[in-house]
Amino acid sequence: MNNEQLNFKQPQHPQRIANDKADSLEMLLHRMINRIRQSLELSVILSGTTAEVRSFLRTDRVKIYQFKPDGSGEVVAESRCDDQINHHLPSLLGQHFPEEDIPPQIRELYLKDRHRTIVNVAANQIGISTLTDEHEGEYIQFRTVDPCHAEYLTAMGVQSSLVVPIIDEDNLWGLLVSHHHCPRIVTARELEVVQLVADQTSIAIAQSNLLESARVQAKQEASINLVGQSLHSMTPMQLQQALQQTVVALQGSGGRVYIAPPNSDSEAQLYVSGEQPILLPRKKKASIPLEEHPNWQTWLKQAIESDSVIQPWAIGYASSKSIVELALNLLPSQLERAFKPTNIKSILTIRLEHRQKILGYLSIFRQGVDIETIWAKRPDRDDPRNQFPRQSFETWRELQQNKARQWEKREIELAQILGSHFAIAIFQYQLYQQIRTLNASLEQRVEERTTELQQTNQQLVQEISDRLKTRDSLERLSHQNELILNSAGEGIYGLNLEGITTFVNPAAAEMLGYQINELENQPMHEMVNHSTAEGVVYAWQDNPIYQTIQTGEIHHVTNEVFWHQDKSNFPVEYVSTPIKEKEQIVGAVVIFKDITERQIMDRMKDEFISVVSHELRTPLTSIRSAIGVLSSSGLDPTSSKSQRLLEIALDNSNRLVRLINDILDLERIKSGRVTMVKGSYGATEVMIDAVEIMQGIADKAQIQLAIQPLSVQVRIDRDRIIQTLTNIINNAIKFSSPHTSVEIAAQLISNDIVRFQVRDRGRGIPQKNLETIFDRFQQVDASDSRDQGGTGLGLAICRSIVQQHGGQIWVESTLDQGSTFYFTLPIGYQVDTRKEQSHD
Amino acid sequence: MTRKILIIDDDDDIREATQLCLEIVGNWEIVTANSGKTGLVVAISQQPALILLDVMMPDMDGLETLKQLQVNAVTKDIPVMFLTAKAHPAEQRQFTQLKVSGVITKPYDPFELSNRIAKVLA
Repeated sequence: MNNEQLNFKQPQHPQRIANDKADSLEMLLHRMINRIRQSLELSVILSGTTAEVRSFLRTDRVKIYQFKPDGSGEVVAESRCDDQINHHLPSLLGQHFPEEDIPPQIRELYLKDRHRTIVNVAANQIGISTLTDEHEGEYIQFRTVDPCHAEYLTAMGVQSSLVVPIIDEDNLWGLLVSHHHCPRIVTARELEVVQLVADQTSIAIAQSNLLESARVQAKQEASINLVGQSLHSMTPMQLQQALQQTVVALQGSGGRVYIAPPNSDSEAQLYVSGEQPILLPRKKKASIPLEEHPNWQTWLKQAIESDSVIQPWAIGYASSKSIVELALNLLPSQLERAFKPTNIKSILTIRLEHRQKILGYLSIFRQGVDIETIWAKRPDRDDPRNQFPRQSFETWRELQQNKARQWEKREIELAQILGSHFAIAIFQYQLYQQIRTLNASLEQRVEERTTELQQTNQQLVQEISDRLKTRDSLERLSHQNELILNSAGEGIYGLNLEGITTFVNPAAAEMLGYQINELENQPMHEMVNHSTAEGVVYAWQDNPIYQTIQTGEIHHVTNEVFWHQDKSNFPVEYVSTPIKEKEQIVGAVVIFKDITERQIMDRMKDEFISVVSHELRTPLTSIRSAIGVLSSSGLDPTSSKSQRLLEIALDNSNRLVRLINDILDLERIKSGRVTMVKGSYGATEVMIDAVEIMQGIADKAQIQLAIQPLSVQVRIDRDRIIQTLTNIINNAIKFSSPHTSVEIAAQLISNDIVRFQVRDRGRGIPQKNLETIFDRFQQVDASDSRDQGGTGLGLAICRSIVQQHGGQIWVESTLDQGSTFYFTLPIGYQVDTRKEQSHD
Repeated sequence: MTRKILIIDDDDDIREATQLCLEIVGNWEIVTANSGKTGLVVAISQQPALILLDVMMPDMDGLETLKQLQVNAVTKDIPVMFLTAKAHPAEQRQFTQLKVSGVITKPYDPFELSNRIAKVLA
């Protein structure tokens, strides 16, 4: 085999042709490199490459076949002869070829040995050149072509083929293939050039991959930045936004973020975007999020345990039979039912973890996709003819509908990164919430405490107010007590157990002649020189007040003696009462009063009784004596002595009756028990009436009674005023000498006062008696008066009557010249209609 | 032994009734005086065997009269009996300390009075 054999065109001028070839090779390489430089788009580069190679080789069709991960392949670039007439080979662009068309062992040779193959079907010859050969230059080994291979090419209408592998790093990326409808010799030089082009294509693919990778990375970074920004401030709204962005970034149809409750008090949070599984609530139970469904959790657990290295779970399933079975295996039926009504065909779930804490799950859902594949022939694995070389290249279109889209590695990585962002954000958000809750609870506690304090404060204010009120009322009480003590007429003082004065009221201090502060904190017993009724100073231990302090006995004592500061003394009555506090005697309070006045009154009363007794006994004495003798002596009743005794007895009986009447009368008038029955009477008429009564006595005494009339009406008790006048006239007559006159007169001394007077020319009344003459039993000369039948009460009665009329009575007298008795009466015209009586 | 009795009393009826009673019951010779002053004069002049002396009298009462009688050598040995209308025990007490032969409370039984006088004079 030599180079000439490879020539499939006969050159007209070999040297020129060689030069042309060299030129065109260089030009080709130059253009190729330029194209690769000019474009970053692989498809452009590939289609350019096929065009350049075809123009270089001048074959019918140059294509680039790319292997898929499953071993099948697709024609991704193609250049055909654009001459309509010379269209010997059909276009294969976009057609898929099954894996078995280029079996793995062949692909292995392409990759490892860098086989390049040149097939000449007509010659039944295949030339194989390995790039790893140590031979310099291109060395092609020829042998007989595999009949299947020849049959396959023939079926495609190909008589000549050249195949050069395109290697991307250490992978068989694809093949650069040239087909021609008729036999064609490929020279070593041509192979070398095509190899160079393939190498350039590899470089372009690497660059393109790099570019694509850079683009994806940039896109991912953009997504990450976008999601990260949304998550940065982490409000629920922005979490929602971040979720949406994540769904978009991962080309999902929906997604959700489930945030597990951070503690037992809180609830789970769920953010959803786009299409969601529909988890029907279990029998009569409240619906729960998918993530809380026990089956889901079990499934996740199994997924983790089955491959603990892979944290995210990318589960793809679709309605196509085989994958559904897989999905059914993976997803419990109940959960599968949740997805069935939806278009969701694949799920990517990322467990959100931060600092070993599971915070929740990020799930992205994808809908199924329709995949259309144009197969170069109908694949039918059950057809036994597949054991034989391909007979037909009739294209067959395969449509896979609603097929789950596989999660690519870079997508999973992106999801992981985004998941970690979510996790951090949620963690921080929860931290923030926790702090906020803490702050809120702190604020609440502060508020509660404040409220508590306010309440306490109010209580305190109330208490203070109550205390103030109590204090006020105590003060009031104290003030009242003080007022009572100050106002009390009785002397009041308190003693402690030692007999020392603890308080003294003003009355006590005044009665004792001291200032209050002079008595306080002093032994009162010594200060007052407390003495018995007989004037003997008590020893303190004998003092009844001491007894009170010692034994608690209450002592009522009368007629003991206290000494005044000025060394005088006065009789006292006192009560000493123990002061007790919780049943314990802590001192005594002594209430005392000066009973000097009362003693005087008592004495006067005693004296009066004594006098009355005396006055009553006096007539009785005569009566008793007379009757005693007359009844027992056998005295002749007709004797003069008997007669005289009887007379004395009778007179004194009368006297006694008068006396008793007068005493009663006086007492009744004085006490007001006898009301003055007042009427309007003429003063003259009253005087005349009195004179008429006394006329007999006057005549007997040879006394002339003269009236000086006054025409005035006076409101008086006529009988009582006549009684007064007759009493005074009677006295005047008694103490007048015969043949003298007694003058009775009345005179207006002011508009409303009339003054009556009775004047005699008698012996007069001593000066010292002028004041007392109107007192009871105070006759100037008893013997005289009794001789005249007086009781010693007449003038006292007169005074009482006049006083009851609102008037006054007095006497003016000169010894041996006579006396004049006066009394005044108000005219008294404030008419009392009830008792008005007219006697005019 | 004289049986002359002096009655000093400011009440006319008492003087007369007592005089009549003593004359009738005891057959005494009676002289009277209506005041202390008069009584002193009568006592000195008449030298009665006994004096019945009223206590309550105006001007000079019975106590003063008694004092006067007792300071006078002529009358100091004449027994004196008080006639008093003061019946209260407190009032009577004051007389017990005086040198009197008896206190007769008014009103009195003329026979008893006579008996008392007789006893004093016996």
